[in-house]
Amino acid sequence: MNFKKIFAVLLAAVLCMSLFACNPVTPTEKETEKQTEAPTEKQTDATTEEELEDVTLRMAWWGSQNRHDRTIAVIELYESIHPNIHIEYEFYDFNGYFDKLATLVAANDVWDIFQMGSNFPTYASKIEYLNKYIEDGTIDVSGTSEAFLRICADAEGNQAGLCSGINTYGIAYDPAIFAECGIAEPTENWTWEEFEAACLKIHEVKGIYGFSKFDDWQAGCRLLIGQTAGNDFYKLDNSGLGFDDYKLLVPFIQMRIDLVEAGAYPDEGALNEISDIENDFLVTGEAAMTWVASNQFKALAEAAGRELKLINPPKLTADGPAGISVQSSQMLCVSSDSENPAEAAKFIAYFQSDITANLILAAERGIPTFYAVRDALQPTLDSNTRKVYDYVDLVGNLPTGGDRINPIDPACTDENKNQYLYLIAKAVAGDMTADECAKEFYDFAASREY
Amino acid sequence: MSKENIKTLNRKKSGQSGWSRFINNNNTVGYTFLAPFIIGFFAFTLIPMGTSLFYSFTNFNMIDKMDFVGFQNYIDLFNDERFTNSLWVTVQYVFLSVPLKLAFALLIAFVLTRPSKLVSFYRSLYYLPSLIGGSVAVALVWKQIFARKGLINMNLIAMGLDTVNWFGNGDIAKWPIILMTVWQFGSSMLIFAAGLKEIPGTYYEAAKIDGANGWQMFFRITLPCLSPIILFNLVMQLISSFMVFTQAYVITSGGPNDATMYYALYVYKVGINERRMGYASAMSWVMLIIMGLATFLVFKTSKHWVFDESAES
Repeated sequence: MNFKKIFAVLLAAVLCMSLFACNPVTPTEKETEKQTEAPTEKQTDATTEEELEDVTLRMAWWGSQNRHDRTIAVIELYESIHPNIHIEYEFYDFNGYFDKLATLVAANDVWDIFQMGSNFPTYASKIEYLNKYIEDGTIDVSGTSEAFLRICADAEGNQAGLCSGINTYGIAYDPAIFAECGIAEPTENWTWEEFEAACLKIHEVKGIYGFSKFDDWQAGCRLLIGQTAGNDFYKLDNSGLGFDDYKLLVPFIQMRIDLVEAGAYPDEGALNEISDIENDFLVTGEAAMTWVASNQFKALAEAAGRELKLINPPKLTADGPAGISVQSSQMLCVSSDSENPAEAAKFIAYFQSDITANLILAAERGIPTFYAVRDALQPTLDSNTRKVYDYVDLVGNLPTGGDRINPIDPACTDENKNQYLYLIAKAVAGDMTADECAKEFYDFAASREY
Repeated sequence: MSKENIKTLNRKKSGQSGWSRFINNNNTVGYTFLAPFIIGFFAFTLIPMGTSLFYSFTNFNMIDKMDFVGFQNYIDLFNDERFTNSLWVTVQYVFLSVPLKLAFALLIAFVLTRPSKLVSFYRSLYYLPSLIGGSVAVALVWKQIFARKGLINMNLIAMGLDTVNWFGNGDIAKWPIILMTVWQFGSSMLIFAAGLKEIPGTYYEAAKIDGANGWQMFFRITLPCLSPIILFNLVMQLISSFMVFTQAYVITSGGPNDATMYYALYVYKVGINERRMGYASAMSWVMLIIMGLATFLVFKTSKHWVFDESAES
């Protein structure tokens, strides 16, 4: 008996197995195929049908279950009206979406229609600008305003996409818990000190978290710096950081450290249990407040099933700038890899401006930018959506400290964001002080390529 | 028969045409059966490896940037504290999980060599976790089991004990992940079981006659005879442990405070998430070197502890 022979056979077996282990088709892709293959109702409007050739478009977006359901319904509606168009769709959570997009960009195989946020300049080489489709009438923009078009365009006027809706950030809270703990409900002029005190009090009285989960990057960097006089996180032209003193970053980091230590804010392990807006701790009743993009408030409140309210984030000083502004929540873009960009543009125009479609979408991506859609939605608004409308109006009227809003992020934003999250975790773990954390992050961000 | 005649005869046998000679040729048959592997090897292993080696000398960002930067990526690695940390936690993970897994696999395999009708049933049962082990679904289940209000903590409360903050504490977070790896001992166990069967029963009989007890037989006969199999399992597990990804990605996302930010996960984060593909490629090549070194060391030391029967006799 020779063990060397056995050894060789085993090695060969492992080689074979490792080959089979490489299966490029993931189950979700299979599922999506199945879903898209489901028969759509064919309308027998035979006049145009026969001449049109079949077109398959691929589309992807990120979001919550609520958004997935609504978007799929609109896609199916569109396919039933245009039987020659087939749309294969994929949906992801936010991080998964951009991971997938990165690989598709490298493979020159980006979805025909894809969702984008303020980081669109990073992907500019993959975006088919819509200007020519607007000029030739494929996309009718008469129903919206110049200003709403501009929030989805770069500085040179290249129309990157059509806005899916406008939104802003805010804090959703449970008024019943505030009442129970004997804390006054927040007003639009509340401060970070009041916020921290409320968190601690709620934890003390109820034993739950005061706050569920910040978007640390948005709150601790973009918002906080915007609240300091005359500063912005990036310069208006994205040529570098828009502030000089790293100490401006310290208060938020310090607050995060203190709140976790007190048990009023979830630690990293608990935060990791929140996978989606639908199982946010505010929804499950384990927290009294959470950070939310206004367009997601409806999904949040519906998941919670009890009354929630929406208020702007705390300020540095009661009479200081709010640091937030109304923005394009996201847009739909056409990819430059697309073989049918005109058809993709047509779908986008339909998606953003058709009234029937938007009654299904129900402003879940933000307040629509086409006026006819807005008017049509008005009578259908439920109390949660009305709160969002009121809130966006409120933010639109808050003092921003001057007209210095930059809707576009530089390409190094993802790196900065990852570094910030990494350092804040270190600070919370006690490996560094808030001051060291802020200093190290500032030096990192300042040394990036802009 | 003349040579000419033999040739014509052969041509007749093989159907006379060039095509059928080609199709019946041993080499053609061989390469045809090899083709799936060779194509897969080139498309999914060799070519990607080549491109990643090329990328590792560039600042490729997957979108529009690709300049040659020489060894800059490799130099930057040594100034990256997250990289050093990921290397450290991965080595820690390998050193904890591999011996535990192998010991467990050997123990179960040893127990299951007893002549009993239920042995094959039990063997299948213990192999089950390995079948489903690497999947995302099991990782999600694991995440729930160890959650703040998961199965384990609920039982701890029921027993009147304090709950454990499994994924919130950097010192503890690695244990559920190691446990999950150890739990998937099935394939090592099967290989051990096969090896155990190969040990001749006469050795044990002779030992028994000489008055050896169970422990002595295990350490003097079983372990030495099994050492080539142990070497094989050790090398395979070493390599797969260095590449730990799914569990950490799904369960902890690398947290808390990078306590489970394993090497492959960090490569993914940098490469896909931050789109610094050049840097991530450099990291992958460093990993290849590290894994190669580890394997080399194991082979080098194996001379001293692997018992080769054919060499002895």
